[in-house]
Amino acid sequence: MLKHYKIKTKYNDVYDITKEVRQAVEESGVEEGICIVYNPHSTAGITVFSPWDPDGFVDLDEEICRLIPTRVDFKHQHDTPQDAAGHVKSALLGISNSFIVHEGNLLLGGSQGIYFLEFDGPRDREYFVKVFSDK
Amino acid sequence: MPDCVMERKSKMKKYDNPMSRQVESLPELMEQQYDDLEPKTRKVLSFQEIYNIQRIVLTGCGDSLAAAMATKHAFEMLTGIPTEVVTAIELGRFYCERHLGIDCRNPLVIAVSNSGTGARVSEAVQRAGKHGCFVLGVTGNEESPLGIHSDKILKLNIPAFESAPGTRSYLVSVMSLLLLAIRFGEVRHQYTMDQAMDYRRDIRRQGELLRTLLPEMKTVCQTVAEEWQGFPCYDFVGSGFDYAAAWFGQAKILEATGKFAMHINTEEWFHLNFFVRNAREMGTVVVANTTSPGHSRTREMVKYANVLHRPLVVITDGSAEDFGGEQAIYIQVPKPEYPITMPLTQFAPVCLIAAYIAELTGEEYGRGCEGDWSFSKNGAGVTESEIMV
Repeated sequence: MLKHYKIKTKYNDVYDITKEVRQAVEESGVEEGICIVYNPHSTAGITVFSPWDPDGFVDLDEEICRLIPTRVDFKHQHDTPQDAAGHVKSALLGISNSFIVHEGNLLLGGSQGIYFLEFDGPRDREYFVKVFSDK
Repeated sequence: MPDCVMERKSKMKKYDNPMSRQVESLPELMEQQYDDLEPKTRKVLSFQEIYNIQRIVLTGCGDSLAAAMATKHAFEMLTGIPTEVVTAIELGRFYCERHLGIDCRNPLVIAVSNSGTGARVSEAVQRAGKHGCFVLGVTGNEESPLGIHSDKILKLNIPAFESAPGTRSYLVSVMSLLLLAIRFGEVRHQYTMDQAMDYRRDIRRQGELLRTLLPEMKTVCQTVAEEWQGFPCYDFVGSGFDYAAAWFGQAKILEATGKFAMHINTEEWFHLNFFVRNAREMGTVVVANTTSPGHSRTREMVKYANVLHRPLVVITDGSAEDFGGEQAIYIQVPKPEYPITMPLTQFAPVCLIAAYIAELTGEEYGRGCEGDWSFSKNGAGVTESEIMV
């Protein structure tokens, strides 16, 4: 089963998609299997992060930007510096994540949420959830 | 062949000349030039160079100066960077030296000249460069004085066409400056890449919109030319970037017909031009886009032009309703999604009017550079001038 979601993002923002992914797993009827969350973009990412302290997202953003700052000396100059940095961020953090489906539910820890990371924006974005059964 | 058919054929011939053919070629040129310039304007300046810009000076002579006036507001609206239009002689001889070469190669001087051979523009960029400004030349001739004295060149590539007072080159100058402004704003993150592409698509779309409106525009301009051909003088009025089209209109009348023409903004018209005695023979062209912040003043100006019984043309993306139903010949130009795109088409009717009046009065463009005008042959009046840097 493949589910398709669309979101409108803001500049450099984070979107909690845990609820949608859980729901997709439930609707799939798969008891035991694998769930893949994937975005088809090159300036956005998918990651797992703790939802409990909102300031943690600020830390995440600051660390990503510290590692890959938006600079004006990128070699890729076709678009914008933000876009060039976004490509590197996306490549390093990844555009998909896979999860275990157990007893019909997504096997996530208590401090784990699934997040769509916008490294550019505002943009019209999309992501997919695919659920496979072991059988 | 019956006389009436002969007469119609003869009239048709008059409405088909090099200048009007330039106008008719604009839709295709717009699409072709967009495809040429869009990638070039992305690459001509690096991120570093775009981020370095603190101020912008747009300069040029003649039609190129009008192109600068047409896009100054777009530069400021899209980039937030203070932008001035400075004539070439002001930049070359008068512009305060203390304001040149400040803050690491500022201001960015964007000098426009398709031929690149005008002495004043060459002088202006040489002086700007000498005092430490960064110079971007917008030219079709890399080996020209402008090309040689520029730090970077946006190379224009305008297909050859029959000679006539500049119409195609003006369009390309305006488009190249608009695309640069969009690029600067995009890179400096004034808006998203998607928004930038929307601005760009609006530019390309104007070709098709103009193509649709051209047949009606030609018919109306023919009527205007027939009624106005005997007038001794013409008055072109506009404000904001509409003023550039008004300026361009007076330039085309002068070049094509050799008659007197004036240009003025809507406010100054109330201070000056309305005093003209022979108002009933003063062909008055108002360039008035309906989104202009100066629209209310334009409405007032149109009203009082009628009080004075002036023959009146209003070039607009709207209709008579936008001008309180005032009596005038309204010439419709495309209504773009973004007002900054308006200067790409609103000059077309003034070119047609000038082209048709020139034909009806038997005038040769630029007086044929003959007799007393022979000193200007091959542009010598502007290329052969002492340069002082």
